[in-house]
Amino acid sequence: MLQTAFNGLITGIIVTLPALSVTLLFGVLKFPNFAVGAMMTLAAYMVFALNVQLGWPLTIATAAVAVAFGGLLIVIDYLTFRPLRQRDSITLMVASLGLGFVLENIARLAYGNTARSFAIELARPFRFLDIRMNREQMITVVVSTLAMLAMYFLLTRMPIGRAMRAVSDNPALALVRGIESPRIIRWTWFIAGMLLAVGGVLIGMDRALEPPMGSSYLIAAFAAAILGGLGSPLGAFVGALIIGIVSELATLVIPPNYRIGIPLCVIALILIFRPQGLFGQPYIRK
Amino acid sequence: MSDMLAVRQLHAGYGEGDILKGVDVTLPAGQVVTIIGPNGSGKSTLLKTLAGLLPVRQGDIVLKGQSLKDLSAPRRVRAGLSYVPQEYNVFRNLTVLENLKIAREFMADAKTRGAAVISDELLELFPDLRGKFKARAGNLSGGQRQMLALACALAVRPEVLMLDEPSTGLSPKYMADIFETVRTVNARGVSVLMVEQNAIEALRISNTCVVMANGRVRMTAPADEVLGMKDLHSLYLGDARENAVAI
Amino acid sequence: MISFLILMATVVCFSAILALALNFQWGLGGMVNFGLAGLYALGAYSCALLMLKGGANTFFATLGAMAIVAAACGIIALVTLRVAEEDYFAIVTLGAGEMLRLAVLNEDWLTKGALGLTGVPRPLGEIIAPEHYQYFQLGLALGVLLGTVWFLNVIARSPFGRIVRALREDDVVAATLGKHVLWARVRIFAIGGAIIGLAGSFHAFYYQYIDPTQFSNIVIAYAFMAVIAGGRGAHYGTIAGAAIVMVLLEGSRFIKDLIPMLDSDQLAAIRIIIIGVGLILLLIFRPQGFAREYRLQVEIR
Repeated sequence: MLQTAFNGLITGIIVTLPALSVTLLFGVLKFPNFAVGAMMTLAAYMVFALNVQLGWPLTIATAAVAVAFGGLLIVIDYLTFRPLRQRDSITLMVASLGLGFVLENIARLAYGNTARSFAIELARPFRFLDIRMNREQMITVVVSTLAMLAMYFLLTRMPIGRAMRAVSDNPALALVRGIESPRIIRWTWFIAGMLLAVGGVLIGMDRALEPPMGSSYLIAAFAAAILGGLGSPLGAFVGALIIGIVSELATLVIPPNYRIGIPLCVIALILIFRPQGLFGQPYIRK
Repeated sequence: MSDMLAVRQLHAGYGEGDILKGVDVTLPAGQVVTIIGPNGSGKSTLLKTLAGLLPVRQGDIVLKGQSLKDLSAPRRVRAGLSYVPQEYNVFRNLTVLENLKIAREFMADAKTRGAAVISDELLELFPDLRGKFKARAGNLSGGQRQMLALACALAVRPEVLMLDEPSTGLSPKYMADIFETVRTVNARGVSVLMVEQNAIEALRISNTCVVMANGRVRMTAPADEVLGMKDLHSLYLGDARENAVAI
Repeated sequence: MISFLILMATVVCFSAILALALNFQWGLGGMVNFGLAGLYALGAYSCALLMLKGGANTFFATLGAMAIVAAACGIIALVTLRVAEEDYFAIVTLGAGEMLRLAVLNEDWLTKGALGLTGVPRPLGEIIAPEHYQYFQLGLALGVLLGTVWFLNVIARSPFGRIVRALREDDVVAATLGKHVLWARVRIFAIGGAIIGLAGSFHAFYYQYIDPTQFSNIVIAYAFMAVIAGGRGAHYGTIAGAAIVMVLLEGSRFIKDLIPMLDSDQLAAIRIIIIGVGLILLLIFRPQGFAREYRLQVEIR
């Protein structure tokens, strides 16, 4: 059971990255973006191309793709969401759904449906207090922790991060305090892109690389973000860990294939009893 | 004495019709102009349009000779126009210090950007904020939040300060404090355009009074004159009585 | 060639019924059903299973499927009764749809999982000769489609419909009103569910073989495109939209003939990319947006 909880913790740690992206994007753009799963998938395949096909070490490949992907998302936003900026959130959600289809199938077009994996050295798992942990999981913990620390630093110490939180809190007020929203939006996409790229790689290490890989984490990421309170980065982090652990522990009682039911129930419960989640505040639209 | 801010024949609105139907207001440099009027007269809409939150449909806004009509709200802040909305005027999820920092961080002028956020001047004007810099803005009392909102608006060293009903929901003590602070700020050279329901308190610190009703300016007069009028209420209670003060 | 057109027209008909359900739940009720694919699958599988395992005839199987999907939608709406925000509702329905598809895939004792169900009977299949069947099928589909349009209009114009429209206008109001008024939302969603069940049944009849791959999220992309392309004029517009979308998409199957070197997986991927891009372009270049249409149109009447 401890092993299960540990596996859940790892899953939760992986989910922190897309959950944080979901919450940042929602805070600044004010709509749930259903393409984040497919974004992770595409980024993972881009890393695959560098890592397996060009022989780059995984770390370098990931770093390169992270930056490139951040830029790519800025371009995608410019083409897809910017023309729809003034529209209602349903329109934006539907657009994000369509975008998700496109991105996932670009990956499918390029690499087909067979599962792939990254080129990393095999290493023996090691035991720690009765828990088996393999090298990939270690890397996941380290990388995610670093990412979270970086995010914390960005959001609390840097002007851009503060501005992102301000826009998330009150977009109209942000305007009259001199914050230019297009700039903040670009930065938010760039940061989300980096988080999603790293997240995609972690998923690819944990499971295999196949076209639906990212989308399978979509509901969990949303559940984590909603549980923590949409718009609250701390909430996304905590929410992800909880979702991960609870989902994994639940497989001890329910069939593993229905694992997705747990995040779904969490979403439903939160929305009924405490829509603002653990740390969220009722936010102000536009 | 030149005009700091001139609003000419301004039309603006939210949906189908216009709420502002041709508004003319002038704010001479260094003065305080207070706008009063019944609910729905368009006072708040006017300030929102001047701040850049609503597009100008017709007419113009001129700040020190420069037309603001096509500038986005953040650019207007850089041009010297600062605005305090009536409610939701602080970032509740940020701390007091972060609120103050944000106000300044995106200003073009490096000197303003670099200056210390917590200055003697700030503490002098807003003693209530002392010791609360790490507190979450949403946890402050209503009066403290208003003070913070005002402090943020001043952090960018504006030439024109616009306030939307600064005394809303404040206790008499805070109300007096706010108006006193506005008076002090004005004495230091900031031109002030204010919308108020508590007309008497506001007019006491103003130079000029503008009465709005139905999206138009009904009357512009020196503040003392308006204060001296017998039935001040008739000025802004209902259009039926607009005959009494119509021009 | 004529055969092909008749068959395509039939597909347009039941796809339009599905799009109408989406339009109804969203346009009138303000509830966006991102779980459409899963509920559609529920309808098709319910109908097929009622016939194959339950021995029902096509008519009762259809009614059964409609009732089952209506109940499912009713439950979803009930659970989210207090959730006024449309964003959240969309997320929940997305998740619910996913769960349904997972259930279809995993409960293979019932659904045969990925293998799918074969030999699904169709209405009057025994009686009408195969060479004439397609005409009958088209006629039936058209009739049911028109009947659905008539029925949905009746509801939209009823006092019940007015209440729901009022609720949709103002989330804040909706959140403070009494339970029995909020029930209207549940009923709207359930009625839409019945329509989805109807469309699903037709799907089963038409293809006579159903498997989980027919119900991927592309379904909802099609439905959205139909509703958006249709735009003005609520129902008839939606039907026209469905026709346009179907023509484009069925037509895109011919890409295979143009680019022979791609394998089927890649072709499928290209088609989905085209759909995704098409959806986004429609959203950008259809400035009216679709919810507004319905409201405006019904009010003019």
